[in-house]
Amino acid sequence: MFSGWNWVAHGLYLLLNFCSLEVSGGLVQSCGHIIPESPVLALGSNFTALCILNESCLDFGNIYANQIIWKIKNRVVPKEQYREINRTVSSVTFNDTSSLATPLTCNILADGQIEQNIYGIAVTIGLPPEKPKNLSCIVHQVLKLTYPMTCTWNPGRHTFLDTHFRLKYRWPQENFPDCIPKDVNNSCTIPDVQFFVNLEVWVEAANALGKAESDPLVLDPIEIVKPLPPHNLSVNSGILPTVLKLAWENRISGALMKLKFNIRYRTIGDTNWMQVPPEDTASPRTSFSVQGLRPYTEYVFSIRCMKEDGVGYWSDWSEEKTGVTTEDKPSKGPPIWRIIDASRSPAFWTVHLMWKALEPFEANGIILQYEVTVRAKSSPSSPPEKYDVNTTNLTLKLPNGTYEVTLIARNRVGASPPSVLLIPATNSKAPVKNVRTLPKDGKLWVGWTAPNSYVLKYVIEWCLVSNSSDCIIEWQNEPGNVQGTYLKGDIKPFKCYLITVYSLYADGQGSGQSVKAYLQQDRPSKGPTVQTKKVGKAEAVLTWNHLTVDEQNGFIRSYTIFYKTVDGNETAVTVDPSKTEYTLSSLTSDTLYTVRMMAYTDEGGRSGPDFTFTTQKFGKGEIEAIVVPVCLAFLLIVLLGVLFCFNKRDLIKKHIWPIVPDPSKSNIAQWSPQVPAKHNFSSKDQMYPEGSFTDVSVVEIEADDKKSFSEQDLKPFDLLKKEKSTSEGHSSGIGGSSCMSSPRQSVSDSDEGETAQNTSSTVQYSTVVLNGYRDQTPVQVFSRSESTQPLLDSEERSEDHSGGADSTSQRQQYFKQNGGQDETNTDRPCFERTKQITPTNEGDLVGFAQLQISGQSSQLLGLGLQKNTQEAALPDVLQTSIEGQTVRPETVEGNPPSVDEMPKSYLPQTVRQGGYMPQ
Amino acid sequence: MAAADSPSAALRRRDLCSRGIRLAGKMRSDVVDLLDTYVERQGLDASASVAAVEGVPAAAVERWDEQTGTQRLLENLAAYRAFRVLLSQMLEEHREQLGEADAALGRAMASVLLQVSAFAYHLEELLRLESRGPPSEEGAPPPPAPHLGLFERKLRGLGVLRELAQWAVRSARDLRQLTKPSPGSSSVPSRAESP
Repeated sequence: MFSGWNWVAHGLYLLLNFCSLEVSGGLVQSCGHIIPESPVLALGSNFTALCILNESCLDFGNIYANQIIWKIKNRVVPKEQYREINRTVSSVTFNDTSSLATPLTCNILADGQIEQNIYGIAVTIGLPPEKPKNLSCIVHQVLKLTYPMTCTWNPGRHTFLDTHFRLKYRWPQENFPDCIPKDVNNSCTIPDVQFFVNLEVWVEAANALGKAESDPLVLDPIEIVKPLPPHNLSVNSGILPTVLKLAWENRISGALMKLKFNIRYRTIGDTNWMQVPPEDTASPRTSFSVQGLRPYTEYVFSIRCMKEDGVGYWSDWSEEKTGVTTEDKPSKGPPIWRIIDASRSPAFWTVHLMWKALEPFEANGIILQYEVTVRAKSSPSSPPEKYDVNTTNLTLKLPNGTYEVTLIARNRVGASPPSVLLIPATNSKAPVKNVRTLPKDGKLWVGWTAPNSYVLKYVIEWCLVSNSSDCIIEWQNEPGNVQGTYLKGDIKPFKCYLITVYSLYADGQGSGQSVKAYLQQDRPSKGPTVQTKKVGKAEAVLTWNHLTVDEQNGFIRSYTIFYKTVDGNETAVTVDPSKTEYTLSSLTSDTLYTVRMMAYTDEGGRSGPDFTFTTQKFGKGEIEAIVVPVCLAFLLIVLLGVLFCFNKRDLIKKHIWPIVPDPSKSNIAQWSPQVPAKHNFSSKDQMYPEGSFTDVSVVEIEADDKKSFSEQDLKPFDLLKKEKSTSEGHSSGIGGSSCMSSPRQSVSDSDEGETAQNTSSTVQYSTVVLNGYRDQTPVQVFSRSESTQPLLDSEERSEDHSGGADSTSQRQQYFKQNGGQDETNTDRPCFERTKQITPTNEGDLVGFAQLQISGQSSQLLGLGLQKNTQEAALPDVLQTSIEGQTVRPETVEGNPPSVDEMPKSYLPQTVRQGGYMPQ
Repeated sequence: MAAADSPSAALRRRDLCSRGIRLAGKMRSDVVDLLDTYVERQGLDASASVAAVEGVPAAAVERWDEQTGTQRLLENLAAYRAFRVLLSQMLEEHREQLGEADAALGRAMASVLLQVSAFAYHLEELLRLESRGPPSEEGAPPPPAPHLGLFERKLRGLGVLRELAQWAVRSARDLRQLTKPSPGSSSVPSRAESP
């Protein structure tokens, strides 16, 4: 049983499927259908659909209306919108069709599980057509007898449906076929219309949702005609030079429509049309004479027409045709002006007459030539001179005087009225005042205040001021009743123009009043190049050159100087434009400044190049204030020094150049017994006269402990030496021994320095060079002795006794000046001086030996002998030094002994304990 | 007459007359052009003499200036109704003869036919303003199309167009006459009353 029911259900399912195939393929009967079928619905309206099940299907599978499911596309419609009308009919209701979509299907749940489509419909949603609005029609004449009428309207909103428009028209007693638009929905053209009968026109719009008609338009098509423009327009010149005659053909029948016309014209090159007064052409015609034209001028004409009563539309303008009026004589004389050049000759003027060619509307034809007549006013009896000129200028050389120049232009028809110019202009008449300029509309306007007296006309001269070109004068005339005009010419921006206004009278002329002007200003093309003229400690004088007129591009209103230090703020200073120099003050000394300069016009400024300078470290006069006193002080010191040295020259001389005794004058030289014959004292005396020696020998003694003896200490020895030198009786034993060994060498060693030779065989003598002094020939040159042989045995003993070992550690140099004794002390006994020796009495130094000796010992030295005491002898020396203050050496000056009698001890000394005992 | 006395009726009458005059003028102009075309296309001689067309009242009339306005309107209306029938017959014959081969001539004839119809409408409207009302067309049945040969039909058509041109001139004059004040115009008995 169960299997049997199952089999039935399966069969029902197959049947439903088969029924579905029938729906889609239309092959078999459906189990139901939807009403309405494929509805067209108004957007926003409500809609109800019914799904009606076939009775036959009910018997198969217990399918009832309560099992119906409605779907929009694949979306199930809410069950709230369902309504089961009976067991086979279900309805669905939509309050707003905007929620609908295609397809709307009726489905059923078979066995409560399987959803099966029963039927579906397509829903079309749209809007009914709106009433067409703004219907208007126009009849275009396309041919002479063809008058199609085109009507346009506003179709209204989009309906989303296929909406058809029809233009309907009819006569009261006759209907015409509708005009159906092609490809558009807002206009239609009726091929031909008949005039003089009212035509009722309206538009009908219809779609599936309804139909709408526009308001009817009742009109006579003759009232909406746009005719074709007249054609075959011709222009002919008439007899008069100001008239052209136009003729044309109308292309609309006069029986159909009476026309009126518009005629427009313009000159060649002009874009603005002029029009013949409409009232002159308000009646039907095919020709018209245009008057008031300019002679010898080419005009362009065009014409249009419309219905005479003005009802309808103007035609398009006809094709343009040109015509030229005939010539007439020039209407005015050419404007004339002059440039008088009186610089070449004082008695004659070179007068450049120049005039402007007449404008075409003034020339009224082709100017064939100009006639210039020059009449001397000063001599009316003289005949005027006439010139026929083809150009617009004439240069005359006239004697100084007053002339009246008359200019006439002539064409084929006749001559112009004359233009008169007085030469020269006596500038005694009233000039214009307050000449001013104003850029306006891209042109330069010049205004002036007229003089009180009547002015015949004005002449405005101008020229471009430039460094690169001369001032080429341009000019123009203006009538005497104006007080301003635009310059007629190519006025360039950023250029300077010099404008001069002259007032011309019947009997003279006022002086020209000038002004400079720019049509348009700009920033200067460059800035001034600034540089320093003078730089001080706290100020700098800057200088610059004015910009050239070509660089200015406008009126220089001011300069601004910007200066700054490397790390400082920039400071600006505004300078009057007339200046070319400025002094920056309050600058910091010894500082690098950068300065630049800007020139300003009304439109802005431009900066010049940077310039750097450094302020000075010292101000003006500061260096002089320092240097001069210093120099003066130095000079004063030098002068004082010189004076001092000069005053103390002898002292300095003796101090620096001690007197070296002349060995040739030593007694030992004469004393040598071996060569007595050779010893020619006199000759030597002649050779070295006493006091003539100025040669200097310097003796340096190096010692461990240096101490210079004061000259006072040495004075006794000087005296002793002097005495020995001057007295042959006082011959030194040492010298003698020295001479005994070698006469020549004895000369050398016979000096007071023989003590050194005594000290040790290793004592080295300095080189003593006797150069020529004061033009004297040096006699001998003494070289350092290399001899190690003791001069005398006694000396050797003496040396040994006196501790000559110290000579190994000391080196001694002697400088001798022969004859260098202090003259003031020459008469003093040597011993007295010896007594006066005090270490502090340097000012009385007259000794010629400079002595350095080690230790604190002070020792009596004979004949410049310097003896270096050894340590062993030091106590004696100390004793000697202590007691030396009171030592009064025994003098030998009383009677100098002969050579033979000379004791070995040539310097008697009072020796106490441990004292030195000369041999 | 009451309607004619009202200002609007007078304006309407004046407008109808004015436009009727211009329509007549254009109709004449177009008919003259059509005549030239017709003669040319039909291969006729422009100077050919054609007998009076049957059914069309003659445009020429004696004592024309003595006619009343209504009388003029009625004569015109009768003539143009006749022309409308004749031109319709001509247009039909033309289409039968040439098909669309000579469309320009057919369009010109159709245009003239429309103008004739329009003028008849003007006349009917004027008669209505005269409180007379247009006579019924049934009272003037269109003459039956005679069985003519082709050439005869061409000549007949030429006669129709010539007569139409003359009527266009006369109609313009009649309407101008109507625009003039004519106190006795309405006293003249109308022919429309007697069929």
